[in-house]
Amino acid sequence: MKLTTYAQSLHDLNIIKENGLDEVLLGHKEFSRLGKLSDDEFIQLSARARELGLSPIFEWDILMTETEFPSLAQKIITLKEHFTEIRLQDPGALEFTLTKMDSKIQWITENGNHNLFGLKHWEDYIGPRLSRLVLSIEIPKLSLTEYIKELKTPVEILGLGRILLFYTPRSLLSPLVKNSDDPVTKTMLQSETFEALGESEESPHKGFPLVENRHGTFMFHIKEFCLLDYGAELASLGLSYFRIDLRPSSLTDNLPKVKALTTEFSTEGFDAFKDTYPQDLMRGFYLVNKTDVLFPKLKNSRLVRKDEGYVGEILDVAKSEYAVIQLKGKVKLKVGDNLKFIHPEGKEYIVPVVWMKATDLTEITEAQENQLILMNTMNGLWVRGQAYLA
Amino acid sequence: MSYFVPEVLAPAGSLDKLKVAILYGADAVYVGGQKFGLRTAAENFTLEELKEGVNFAHERNAKVYVVLNSFLHDKDLDELPDFVRYLEEIKIDAVIVSDLGVVKTVAEHTKLHIHISTQASVLNVESAKLWKKMGATRVIVGRELSVKESGIIKREAGLEVEMFIHGSMCMAYSGNCVISNFTQGRDSNRGGCAHSCRFEYSIDFGLKDKESIKAYFMSSKDLEGIRVLPEFIKEEIDSIKIEGRMKSNLYAGTMSKTYKEALDYYRDNGDFLSEKMLMWESELGKVSHRDYTEASLVDKAGDSSIYNERENSNDNEWKSIGHVVEASDKAGIIIEVRNAFNQGDELEIIPFKGEILKITANEIMSMMMNPITRTKPSTLVKLPYHRGAERFNLVRAKGSK
Ligand code: SF4
Repeated sequence: MKLTTYAQSLHDLNIIKENGLDEVLLGHKEFSRLGKLSDDEFIQLSARARELGLSPIFEWDILMTETEFPSLAQKIITLKEHFTEIRLQDPGALEFTLTKMDSKIQWITENGNHNLFGLKHWEDYIGPRLSRLVLSIEIPKLSLTEYIKELKTPVEILGLGRILLFYTPRSLLSPLVKNSDDPVTKTMLQSETFEALGESEESPHKGFPLVENRHGTFMFHIKEFCLLDYGAELASLGLSYFRIDLRPSSLTDNLPKVKALTTEFSTEGFDAFKDTYPQDLMRGFYLVNKTDVLFPKLKNSRLVRKDEGYVGEILDVAKSEYAVIQLKGKVKLKVGDNLKFIHPEGKEYIVPVVWMKATDLTEITEAQENQLILMNTMNGLWVRGQAYLA
Repeated sequence: MSYFVPEVLAPAGSLDKLKVAILYGADAVYVGGQKFGLRTAAENFTLEELKEGVNFAHERNAKVYVVLNSFLHDKDLDELPDFVRYLEEIKIDAVIVSDLGVVKTVAEHTKLHIHISTQASVLNVESAKLWKKMGATRVIVGRELSVKESGIIKREAGLEVEMFIHGSMCMAYSGNCVISNFTQGRDSNRGGCAHSCRFEYSIDFGLKDKESIKAYFMSSKDLEGIRVLPEFIKEEIDSIKIEGRMKSNLYAGTMSKTYKEALDYYRDNGDFLSEKMLMWESELGKVSHRDYTEASLVDKAGDSSIYNERENSNDNEWKSIGHVVEASDKAGIIIEVRNAFNQGDELEIIPFKGEILKITANEIMSMMMNPITRTKPSTLVKLPYHRGAERFNLVRAKGSK
């Protein structure tokens, strides 16, 4: 299992080289969500990376509207000699790269793509130029194990770094301070990237890192994602790349520690790392992903009609006088039938149909779909109760 | 002469809403089954209801699209083939999908049309071309695109384009928000969004001596694109979509009727009269909404698209009184009451087409013909019959307490 990480300066490249990595991720400010490198800086870093024997990987992970796309597409052609592989996230960038360039492709599937079937189809579509699949951190260990085994392509996941929660192209921070007279605020507004922390009384989590730059606004989790303590396990599963994103903290301080922990893990070493690392850490859904278990509680399943024997729904009840049923199911209702009413809170009542009336109050003995009928009621029946033939 | 107009695509969170939307003019509706869609808390459709909904729609020349746009996990995919085969059997018109695994499952097991959901953030021609190769016949482009950009996609990628024109908006690029996943343990991309973007936040810029700023900084105003309709027509956008499967019957009906009337007017006349436009806008304003924005339909959404307020209702909003469950000479107009009204209140019954029916509720009766002076929610009441009132007509009132 190899480590991969970002470089933002020549100094970073030296640290990366010293720690034995063989590639480096470069974020150009026009193409990469959090990239800060200008053209010149990118070209300089890429040249130096090559001198050091590091493979420069170009990150093109922004999402782009049709207005922005053509100029970026043109520009990437002029930069292509400066990188060995390209990592992409927008399907448009993928299609463009596949049809107009010949670079090897690292395909970021971190957004969704939580099934092997789909991932295999990405493999098939991109074909031999696919050099890596970057998988979502929401995929739990069990699935990851299977994916790594079944996919033909080397797999990368985030090993340490911020968890991106939210990405919008709109500028959300600058409007809050744009009219400020304060010189410090004004200077901040002029910088290409500025950061803040957000918290809400409606959320127990305090201090979400926020970043605004030319690509929009990003919100991150208050904790960083960390699987360093599962590094050996992931290596034994066959994971090819572990991404270590130390951009918000210090590469110099932390990359050697990460390298040491992934080479030979020790609990004491990991505890010491956590003590000095500037952010709290979490492993997200690595052990289990149960983000759908609450769904049944979001809806009252008793109100979902079961199709068999369905008669309709109570729309009105006048205590001990009558109930009004909207017949919605395919069955015919007759005087003498028994109805089972299922109520939203779960209570069930069996009621024999003793009498029925049409809405003009004439007596009827039979009714069918779409009819509104009045019938005898009993204590407990209430509006929204669902009626079935008993 | 008849001019090109897009399809009006309305949300239908339940069978009743499907009927309401279609009767009020929607050319198509999008619905969810009990699984695989994003509106987990919506009533959604059982298999039998789907069948009934399709029959109802097809009898009226309307289409039904089924939403399968969750980012499905492996285990979710197991049941999908049977479900999509059923959809094909009952003649659903298309499925709305965002995940490649789902696209391929649908394509392997059926010949259903595949529409790529806005969740997939199709934002440029190249992306649309990719999805076309994957088997899509239509893309529902991201809300970050202008109508003009979407027109380019349609022409250059050579597939149908659908665009949101009205409703609540995700502030994030669709499918690119996992706040709920990591803070509430609910997968927002499988229907569990907890709307954290609507919360008030304190923003600390870390500036010395400066207090943090309280703001609803990541909440978007609602989209309203009625004034941009000429652009939609010019760019030959195939379908205009109204958001809101969780919203009321009044919403589904008013939106369908208003956008459809506007487009019918254009189809027959080749333009939009400004006084008509004012009337349609006023109708859209009567339904509960956040402040409206055109977001990125014309230019990129700017500061004014942010809804920096606590959710509140608007003064000119009308209240939904309920809907007509039966109307006949013999039985009168039977209304399922949603919000109470009093004897003497002015009510408006909204017909499927044409002028609003204004009535005064002088005589209100129970189902057994007992007189009532104040109605209660969740009851049925009878009013004397008025010609023009029909089952599923919506009833509203201004300022009814
Ligand atoms: S929290 Fe807001 S931005 Fe995020 S998915 Fe939900 S509606 Fe969209």
